[in-house]
Amino acid sequence: MTPALEKARPDTPILLFNDECGVCRRIAKWVEKSASTPSGASTIVDRPIGDDPEVLLALNQDLDIWDAYETIHLLMPDGSMKVGGEACAEVLRRLPRTRWLAQSFNVEVFGFRPFQRALDVGYLVLSDVRPVFGCESCGTPSAWLKPMVWATKRWGSLVDGTRVPVRTPHFTGMRTSD
Amino acid sequence: MRLNTLRSPDRESPKRSSQDRIRTVTGGTFEELVLDAEGPVVAEFMSYGCAHCRVMEPILQRVARLVEPDETIVRINIAVEQRLAASYAVEGTPTLVMFLDGREVSRVEGPRPDVSTVLAAVTQPFEQ
Repeated sequence: MTPALEKARPDTPILLFNDECGVCRRIAKWVEKSASTPSGASTIVDRPIGDDPEVLLALNQDLDIWDAYETIHLLMPDGSMKVGGEACAEVLRRLPRTRWLAQSFNVEVFGFRPFQRALDVGYLVLSDVRPVFGCESCGTPSAWLKPMVWATKRWGSLVDGTRVPVRTPHFTGMRTSD
Repeated sequence: MRLNTLRSPDRESPKRSSQDRIRTVTGGTFEELVLDAEGPVVAEFMSYGCAHCRVMEPILQRVARLVEPDETIVRINIAVEQRLAASYAVEGTPTLVMFLDGREVSRVEGPRPDVSTVLAAVTQPFEQ
């Protein structure tokens, strides 16, 4: 448990983030910083998802670890959960500096919330492209490290004369060995 | 309709631990549950952050139901058990390693996520 989580009041939402993803870590850090109030309290606490399904179930009995890694989850004090774009909107609503902006997500036109929908789409796009910026859980090095990783692999193949395939840590094609 | 539900409309609802047919093995229990186990054991090297492993999970649960009690399927989280993954030269996830009486007899890396493919992958090595 993080120190922020230990200090958190029971009425503070918990933002779960993927600690193996560079983008998620940076966003969580920004949220943590932005959530601090002058009194030292936090309006949101963040915590890594971790690797223990039971720990997550203890936080919320409907919280599945696979889902937590798939989509952003915000655990609300009343026991509910907000996910995806709704979670992003709620986070922005709770941060002192973005509260004004978050009001737009409630704007409804004939039952349709255009700004919320735009946020949903934005979240999905970011969620899909984030491995490009580096994600240990996806096995993707940071963008600035990619040329070095590529060069190292190619150099190795030149030196020992064998062709080293660029590894795909998450396999998408089947390989069998007996 | 919420966009985040559009993303995976046909995806099965996640498992709950009570429905979990696949036991999680750690470095401490690997020897007892895999190497010293009698009969076939299939070890899935996976991680919860891996999207392909997520797709595989309900398939593997179904396969585990089909092969029990003849075979046991266990999971090893490589994010936690990095030494175990390294000692079995696991290069990516998901990797299924088939053990018979503690000896690796076969492995499949990145199987196509359908029941027939996975079922064949985890049964054929033991039929030889």
